[in-house]
Amino acid sequence: MTGEELLGVVEAVLDSARVPDAVASITEYRDAAVRFGQNRITQNMDRFERKLRVTLGDGERRSVYTTHRIDVDAVPDILSRAMEMLRTASPDPEYMPPVEGGQVYPIVEAWDGETAAMDASARTRAAALAVSTAAGRDMEASGLVEMSYTKTAIGTSTGNLAVHRSTEAGMRLTMDRGKASSFRMLSSESWADLPIEETVHRVAEEVQADQAQEELEPGEYRLLFEPQAVADLVPYIAWSLNARQADEGLTVFSGKLGERVTGEDFTLGSEVDGTLKGMPFNEEGLASRDVVWIDSGRLVAQPCSRYWAGQSGREPLFIPGTLAVKGGPGSVESILRGVKGRALLFRRFWYIRFVDQKELSLTGMTRDGVFLVEDGRIVHPVKDFRWNWKPLDLFSTIEALGQPERKWQLSVPPMLLGPVRL
Amino acid sequence: MIDEMRDIAGSVVEQLRHRGVDYGDARVENTDLESLTFRKQRLAEAELTAERGVGVRVLVRGCWGFASCSGLDTEEIERTVDRAVEVARAGAGVMEGSVRLSEEVPSVGHYDGPCLKDPFAVSMTEKMDLMAKAADTMHESDSITMSWTSLRFERKRRVFGNTQGTLVSSDLVFTMPVINAYAVHDGDMQSRGFQDGARIAGWEWVEEAGLQAWAEKAREEAIMKVRAPEGPAGEMDLVLDGTHLSLTMHESVGHPTESDRVLGWEASMAGRTFLNIDDQERLRYGSELVNFVADNTMPYGVASWGWDDDGVPGQKWYTVRNGIFQQFGSVRETALLVGREHSTGCCRAQDFSSFPINRQPNFYLQPGPGPVTPEDLISEVQKGVYIEGRGSFSIDQRRVNFQFGGDMFWEIRDGRKVQPLKKVIYRSRTRDFWRACDGMADDRYFRTMGILTCGKGEPMQSARMTHGASTSRFRNIEVGRGAE
Repeated sequence: MTGEELLGVVEAVLDSARVPDAVASITEYRDAAVRFGQNRITQNMDRFERKLRVTLGDGERRSVYTTHRIDVDAVPDILSRAMEMLRTASPDPEYMPPVEGGQVYPIVEAWDGETAAMDASARTRAAALAVSTAAGRDMEASGLVEMSYTKTAIGTSTGNLAVHRSTEAGMRLTMDRGKASSFRMLSSESWADLPIEETVHRVAEEVQADQAQEELEPGEYRLLFEPQAVADLVPYIAWSLNARQADEGLTVFSGKLGERVTGEDFTLGSEVDGTLKGMPFNEEGLASRDVVWIDSGRLVAQPCSRYWAGQSGREPLFIPGTLAVKGGPGSVESILRGVKGRALLFRRFWYIRFVDQKELSLTGMTRDGVFLVEDGRIVHPVKDFRWNWKPLDLFSTIEALGQPERKWQLSVPPMLLGPVRL
Repeated sequence: MIDEMRDIAGSVVEQLRHRGVDYGDARVENTDLESLTFRKQRLAEAELTAERGVGVRVLVRGCWGFASCSGLDTEEIERTVDRAVEVARAGAGVMEGSVRLSEEVPSVGHYDGPCLKDPFAVSMTEKMDLMAKAADTMHESDSITMSWTSLRFERKRRVFGNTQGTLVSSDLVFTMPVINAYAVHDGDMQSRGFQDGARIAGWEWVEEAGLQAWAEKAREEAIMKVRAPEGPAGEMDLVLDGTHLSLTMHESVGHPTESDRVLGWEASMAGRTFLNIDDQERLRYGSELVNFVADNTMPYGVASWGWDDDGVPGQKWYTVRNGIFQQFGSVRETALLVGREHSTGCCRAQDFSSFPINRQPNFYLQPGPGPVTPEDLISEVQKGVYIEGRGSFSIDQRRVNFQFGGDMFWEIRDGRKVQPLKKVIYRSRTRDFWRACDGMADDRYFRTMGILTCGKGEPMQSARMTHGASTSRFRNIEVGRGAE
């Protein structure tokens, strides 16, 4: 459907709603992907979905109805189901009417027409290149090549109306031979921007360099995180930022607004229309904006619902789907060359979970490449191991930062961190 | 509704035959979901979702093609059939196809999951009252600063048909009550909750779960836990209840015994397995006491669908018998590749829009012959920890090196539970851990946990399965505290 057609359904729902408060949104999503493993294509997909979400409120109660029935003729039945739910819901002491009218939504250019229209041949050729490269080196390739688009229209009974569309192209590639492996992820709004061939050959070279892993010897090591390793940790900080949960004593950020939570070299924010492309609105229809959450180590803002903002004297804020960590001038290679003494280089982490949410302590495994570094050069690969770390403590010891790289909806730099006992 | 869905599946299969594909199948699904959530003592969410759509899978010269659409519009479904054939041909044009499906006898039939009381017919007032009362009970203490109480009901009607003559349907109701209380004290926060999860059952599961009693238990034990000392560290014995072991077995037995992992198809995402194909019927996985029974016919099991998304019937088999690994769970595409003639019926997709993949079945640790009680197991422990429920969990991509927490901990000293603890974790390696099992309570103490959100695949899919165990004992396991 075109943007106008999507808005037409939204307006039809709002016009027909017989309640004071209503929000309607419709999302059209297409995702086409080739998956491969064991040097063969294992899945080849083209998925299409349209979904309508209607939120109704009568000033005291609220209900939400979501459906795949998307046509103007179905609107009376859809509203009847949502009304039935509304009538039987119990009153909500935290009831909030829809966001005020006059929201000014940022215009986010995140659409690439060629990527949205791409047929299956480009994806299958990329997968075939990865497979043939791996097979030629006695390795196995696995991963995903994907293109997708999303169109979202939203309207509120307070007069807000907006539509947004975005495309996404990406490749996730693992190659391995025995226990030696490497992994790289590419992502962009545009398929044409992805350096597929270069990345395929790079990953194969990295597998070669991961042969003959040795056990990690206990001791103190600096930690050098590639951007993917930083991207694996940062979401756990974001998930802990919520203002209300902090105020209720549930997170590590309780009572920390305005205070130092990491070293001053760590800055975390969200951007709507920069290198990363966020959503211009949230599911309530509230306009997005750029936010800095942790500024030079100090917690300066927290995601906060409209209700809790009113209770706590804060501004309503939300993460618009992107997270960006401020970087520095270097690269992984230049930072590595500057390492004095011993360090470990990490490519990626795996199966990270909270050990204690209140402390923001995490556990996880290394994956697809750990290397011992001594005085600026890689000595040998190291076998994977389990770690238990607190990321806020880690990010309090930043010694060097490199240029950020995009990892889906994150922009993250490589980092050299101070010594840790392992 | 089911008749209309069967007609649609039949029509798609007929279109696929006319297009001359080597194999084709259609999945038609219609799902109604009701989700009610109290955050503290207020209704924070009342949401109804009605999902319906079609997934079409085809084989052309040994290459898969899959397409899906939401809604049941005839023209959109025809376009979806075209897209499935188109992507299969694109694959076949670039790479030589190698997909071979195991031979299975075509099935025709219908399966109704157990549901005594339709939860959608229970009045909203009754549901709200139940949740409000449970929430009020948890907040009778000021130490409880947060709580969740939720009820989730899902009715899934599904039809599967293929070009080999299978046409089957299922009508399944999933019911899941949840309770969690969060206590804050002296700068710390700890939680306790009801974790038995989902069942294929109706409102009777809500009644059996006893939310009111659990609200009291969650409140008291969350407070007890947040005020408790941190656990001891070092090598000691563990006594683990069924809801705890359900997660440990899910990660360290369920995932490593999936056939797509041993073939390397998950190497980029969920990972591989430490097992090899020729380990079947040979490798010692656990002690002689350890028997893991896979069972997709298990009553209330959330993977008991009648037939899987290959159209293969639900089955029961040993994954591990007397401590020896028996066989991988498989789908039609992997069965021959792991040396089996037939699929074990483990092919499932998250929904109509997802490509079906190899998933864990329902499976459980067979209880001991007994009579043995949890207290009998504890009485033979000098130094150890008793753990209930699930907490933090992490395991490496080959499913060997793991670390688990729990939801409630008790210190065991000289054969008795002496005090509650908090922040206990333990670490082990899969086969070392299961070989350390030296005692099991009998089936009176069998507890299950129905999981709805097992993540795997790319694009990521959630799958559901039920696990269970009686309380069991493990000797000399490394125990630690929090993030140490």
